[in-house]
Amino acid sequence: MQEKINSVRFNRRGFLGTAATGLSSIALTHLLSENQLLFGRKIEDHPLRPVIDPENPTLQRAPHFNGAAKNVLLIFCAGACSHIDTFDYKPELKRLDGQPMPGDGVITFQGAQGNLQKSPWEFKPRGESGKMISTLVDRIGEFADDMCFLHSLTGKTNTHGPGENFMSTGFTLDGFPSMGAWTTYALGSENENLPAYVAIPDPRGTPQSSVNNWGPGFLPAVFQGTDFNAAAPIRNLARPDQITAVRDRATRDYLKRLNERHLEKFPGDSELAARIASYELAARMQLSVPAISDLSTEPQHILSAYGADDTENSVKAGFARNCILARRLIENGVRFVQLFNGAYQTGGEGTSNWDGHKSIKKQYDVHGPILDQPVAALLKDLKQRGMLEETLVVWCTEFGRMPTFQKGASGRDHNPAGFTAWMAGAGVKRGFSYGATDELGYKAVEKPVTVYDFHATILHLLGLDHERLSFYHNGIERRLTDVHGKVIRELLI
Amino acid sequence: MTFFQRRQQPDGTMFTRLRLTYFNVTRTKTWFPVFFFLASPLVSPIVGQSISDGLSPTTGRVDFETEVQPILKNHCYSCHGPSKQESNYRLDVRDRAMKGGDYGVPPISAGDSKTSDLIGYVTGDDPDMTMPPVGSGASLTSKEIDTLVRWVDQGAAWPEHLSGKGQNEITTEHWAFQPIRKTGPPEVGDWPEAIFPIVNPIDQFIAIKLKEQGLTPSPQTDPVSLIRRLYLDLHGLQPTPESVLEFTNDFSPAAYESLVESVLEHSHYGERWARHWLDVVRFGESTGYEVNRDRANAYHYRDYVIEALNQDKSYRDFVREQLAGDVLGVDEATGFLVGGPNDIVKSPDVNLTLMQRQDELADYVHTTSASFLGLTVACARCHNHKFDAILQKDYYALQAIFSGVQHGERVLKNKLSTAKKAARSDKLAKLSQSLAQLAQWRTKAAQANPANGPALEAVNPKHNTDHFNPVLAKYIRFKIQQTNSGEPCLDELEIFSGGVNIALASLGSVPSSSGDYANNPKHLLKHINDGLYGNDHSWICDQIDGWVQIELPVISEIDRVDWGRDRTGTWGDRLPIDYEINVSKDGKTWQTVSSSSDRKPFLVNGKEPENAFIARLSGEDATAAQAAFADIVELRKQIAELNATNPMGYVGVFGPSQEIRRLHRGDPSDPREIVIPDTLTVMGTLGLKAQTPEPERRLKLAEWIVDPSNPLTARVIVNRVWQYHFGTGLVATPSDFGENGFKPTHPELLDWMAWQFMENGWSLKWLHRLILKSSTYRQSSTPRAAPARLDADCKFLWRFPPRRLEAEAIRDCVLQLSGKLNPKAGGPGFLLFEIDRENVHHYFPLKEFKPEHFRRMIYMTKIRQEQDAVFGVFDCPDGGQTIPKRNRSTTALQALNLLNSKFMLEQASFLKGRLERESGASVERQVRHAFELAFLRRPTEEELEDSIDLINNHGLAAFCRALLNANEFLFLS
Repeated sequence: MQEKINSVRFNRRGFLGTAATGLSSIALTHLLSENQLLFGRKIEDHPLRPVIDPENPTLQRAPHFNGAAKNVLLIFCAGACSHIDTFDYKPELKRLDGQPMPGDGVITFQGAQGNLQKSPWEFKPRGESGKMISTLVDRIGEFADDMCFLHSLTGKTNTHGPGENFMSTGFTLDGFPSMGAWTTYALGSENENLPAYVAIPDPRGTPQSSVNNWGPGFLPAVFQGTDFNAAAPIRNLARPDQITAVRDRATRDYLKRLNERHLEKFPGDSELAARIASYELAARMQLSVPAISDLSTEPQHILSAYGADDTENSVKAGFARNCILARRLIENGVRFVQLFNGAYQTGGEGTSNWDGHKSIKKQYDVHGPILDQPVAALLKDLKQRGMLEETLVVWCTEFGRMPTFQKGASGRDHNPAGFTAWMAGAGVKRGFSYGATDELGYKAVEKPVTVYDFHATILHLLGLDHERLSFYHNGIERRLTDVHGKVIRELLI
Repeated sequence: MTFFQRRQQPDGTMFTRLRLTYFNVTRTKTWFPVFFFLASPLVSPIVGQSISDGLSPTTGRVDFETEVQPILKNHCYSCHGPSKQESNYRLDVRDRAMKGGDYGVPPISAGDSKTSDLIGYVTGDDPDMTMPPVGSGASLTSKEIDTLVRWVDQGAAWPEHLSGKGQNEITTEHWAFQPIRKTGPPEVGDWPEAIFPIVNPIDQFIAIKLKEQGLTPSPQTDPVSLIRRLYLDLHGLQPTPESVLEFTNDFSPAAYESLVESVLEHSHYGERWARHWLDVVRFGESTGYEVNRDRANAYHYRDYVIEALNQDKSYRDFVREQLAGDVLGVDEATGFLVGGPNDIVKSPDVNLTLMQRQDELADYVHTTSASFLGLTVACARCHNHKFDAILQKDYYALQAIFSGVQHGERVLKNKLSTAKKAARSDKLAKLSQSLAQLAQWRTKAAQANPANGPALEAVNPKHNTDHFNPVLAKYIRFKIQQTNSGEPCLDELEIFSGGVNIALASLGSVPSSSGDYANNPKHLLKHINDGLYGNDHSWICDQIDGWVQIELPVISEIDRVDWGRDRTGTWGDRLPIDYEINVSKDGKTWQTVSSSSDRKPFLVNGKEPENAFIARLSGEDATAAQAAFADIVELRKQIAELNATNPMGYVGVFGPSQEIRRLHRGDPSDPREIVIPDTLTVMGTLGLKAQTPEPERRLKLAEWIVDPSNPLTARVIVNRVWQYHFGTGLVATPSDFGENGFKPTHPELLDWMAWQFMENGWSLKWLHRLILKSSTYRQSSTPRAAPARLDADCKFLWRFPPRRLEAEAIRDCVLQLSGKLNPKAGGPGFLLFEIDRENVHHYFPLKEFKPEHFRRMIYMTKIRQEQDAVFGVFDCPDGGQTIPKRNRSTTALQALNLLNSKFMLEQASFLKGRLERESGASVERQVRHAFELAFLRRPTEEELEDSIDLINNHGLAAFCRALLNANEFLFLS
């Protein structure tokens, strides 16, 4: 492990020493210059800043220590998926169904609460662990023995935008780097022909905080997520129709010669060299991305298993295709894939995402089937291919929902006081549940953990020390976990 | 105002507590000089309240406050005062002055000037230790020395209230807080003048450092590169081939000077450099967060910044106006305060609302302190700053300055059209006439018989009784027309028949209303007759005018109604002040049995409604007064309408300041002591009070920021300007001059420039001229291996550091090259999206572009989270955060956008059209012209051949597409 650390901490001088011309890369030093600040910290507390090669900024880099996971596939249910109706079984809620919530009237995001309300879906014991999971996510439930549940998550906000920001970036405010950006900043990518970090928006559109969920924040733009899904390709990826392949090639070749001649006047300037290299990566992506997005090479039984051929439910089929795409990206070494289920509010709350304020039964009966079969198939597929060995699957949402129905409605309001996430795959226990909400599912009471802890644990699984992975910005060594976070060790194998 | 004014701390105990907290978490060594004498027997000076109170000044008796302290202040404080403590000694705090500093001996022996080192220092006993130092020009006069001697001999009385105890004890030796040194440039000595002539002091400072580092400068660049650099740097656009030709034909110093002048005079300068400032202050034109609604009138601030730069407004005014433009006649400048994101999704959840307000205030504090002072004050939101001499209390003191600032739109008074101004002042004049008339009637009413007025007492929140003649009724309706504030609230409505309240629900009466206040279990219709009093069992109407009614089980004879807003006496708002009580037997025919007109007027803020006196007039008088009042109402309405169509700007609204408390760990649910508006403790005080009104707080802060003795302000802006010219500042962290930021590479140069900048009217153009004319700026950018090995970052400027252009400059240059750049300046921006304005706004990039979209990119409406589809990926900030320095990354998405986007292909085709138009059909001429336009040079033979080949085989458009992607075109070198 010590050796790993040393290899990462090989410093700028080391890099310059290896540069053929002996001339520094302007871009490199630009990236690094603000990252040189060390303040009276002990060596073991020093930030571990990755060394970025400007000509290939997403080149694979060593982690801080050997992590269990090489990549992450994160499924984000936008709109705040109710834990009480999916993975957090509350028999007491069933018993107290229809009665007022004990204690003072609770005021939540949209106002007053009505009475306690049991889940409209039945819960069944699953697998050897006997984990109780609702029929709303019936097929996912069948993988309970592979899943590691976190039932005591707590958030910091009860509105969607800040909630998504918090889950994706560790800050409720806009403008901070996403978890995927931090990961690719630290580790780069295994595949030189694909983006290191891909965000796959739902077929219905982007989530509420939109690009902020996969933005670079103040990290260099190269570490942002590239967003595309099975239906909508990367913007401007394809050669324009009116330009033939031959002409396109000739134009790029001419451009390359033009740029190389110019580079001769600035020998060794790697910002210029990096631009030349970026055009080559773009060309490689033009080949690799369509190939990876082309699901026609998938056998019929896979398409059927995911539900990608469901002609009755086009949204589900679209999401299923996104799930297959996610698997293919991970298979090809993409470091971080963020797969969204649910889009921003349109046509009223909860119509296109999990924001079930009004009529949760009706709304979730739409969203459940879109999520359930494709994600279950994804888990099965990953497992069968042995990919869970090195891939960490994470399922999360911005916060949970209330055990009551809202006054005058038959849906649940927002609840950041206790909610559920789960993980599966590399480095986490199987068939394990950690923490608990109270008997009504209202507040985390047993081993409560924060989103910071959740993030710290994910970074840890990738071999990254969340306290040392930092970037200097506006006077602070910024981290994904701000000044908080503790790895939840009990989840780890 | 003295910059380091002595801090008047009204609450000493509070401060002490804070200071202790502070002690625990910071590096005491730097900020709290070790007290050497705590263990040694102290020669106790005669101090304290009793002495100073007991002895009034008499002949010969020295008064500390009026005689001694001014001497210390004028001669000693600059090195031994609030901002600086040479040898760990300070004379502004009594205990510290008595205890001494690093030298280990108490310097003041009360009662004995002969053994007091302080006296020895000022009289110059020891030439090496003479204070103030010989040659400083601050030496004491013999009269002043005599005063000090007598003061010490008389017992060195130092009154308690001037002891400085608990004040200003936080100190720092960090470079950025030290006064700006006013020293000229050093002699350079041996220097290769031929390749790097010393033109001005910048060159001297740079040359010295290069020599120190063993580096050699680069030769001056060629004229074409120079003019291109100048245009890209100052305009963000290329020079035209004509201006290049003109300049290269006359490359004399005079030619360059006049070129610099003309480039600085052009309005493109403001459009380019405003972008830099807008990054720093996180300017955007949508709310951000979840709903991300656009702010149609935010652009006024952008125009203000562009104009201020073009007019070379003094930086002092620039700062003052952005913080307090509302009281300085420049309304649009305060767009600075509210240019950031704000979360407008509100909720009944009080914790959420408090946190949202805290985030807004944090944004004002952070942006102000980072932009103007280069300090990361917002780091002290939850605890004392980890690195800098900034207390958590300081953060909240600054919050208190901005506590009256809210997001929102305001009339831009200085932007009214002349016609409207005239109409408005005409109506205002008429209004004032009518008000004068009304005043006459009021006087008459006052002289009239008071018996004319209503007899009953005014309504009160607790309990009111309306008696009337007995009447048969089944329905009793309480109708409200006006309240003292908000929708009306009644906690109980009681109807009496024979002394018994028959309105109770328990007796079968049924309530109804015109509408109920939603979503609050405390305020329900059923509470109106539940027999329970108090706010928690009350009814609130859904609007100001409405009614609540009781239906009795049977027709009954009633003679009295009792009601109140809150019988427990806690609440006094929402009180009906204009009401009537109507009764009916059948619910169809109604009669009024009582009303507020029978009562004396309710006094709002101690005053009765302005028309209430009319009730005391009679007959014709009342009619005439009523008419005058109607005129007033109408005029006010018209003025309000005029105001409504006035130019509005999203420049913030200013309400009364709110009480600010320090929040423990920044948690809004854990407020602690009240904090008075002020600036950083370590830097002095603004001398404000808890009651200081809103605009004055901001104005005072602004004045303090631009005070010439503020060590940060000039340094920070000078450094920013340097950064935008050279790519990196002398301080590489331009918004962080604290301990955690970089130290200046050239501290003397930074100070010299800051000093001279102030001396030269805080003129940014003066500073540009200085930099642009220096040989340092005019160096070649060609790399050289030897210096690169020593100084890869080019920190010491052995060449001009080349760099990729930013998103805006790339787009502008592309449009310029294609001939499509639309020069329209100012006003509302152009929008590159279609907006779907649901609750949450959604933005869809445009697919078709029109000439209005070909304006300079600074005029692109800046929607947060939604970047321009082509250029956003060039590290373009979205206004979500303050960006003092942009990243510069290189990505495949950038390449794809420039190669394949519809926008770029269209521009390539416009360029093709331009080349065909301007160069005819000859391919060679087209190539030559294109190189001239794009690169300002001739193609080499090889390039010419290669280009002609491409055009012959694949057409001119292919060639144009390649040119727009060329490194040479996209780099400033």
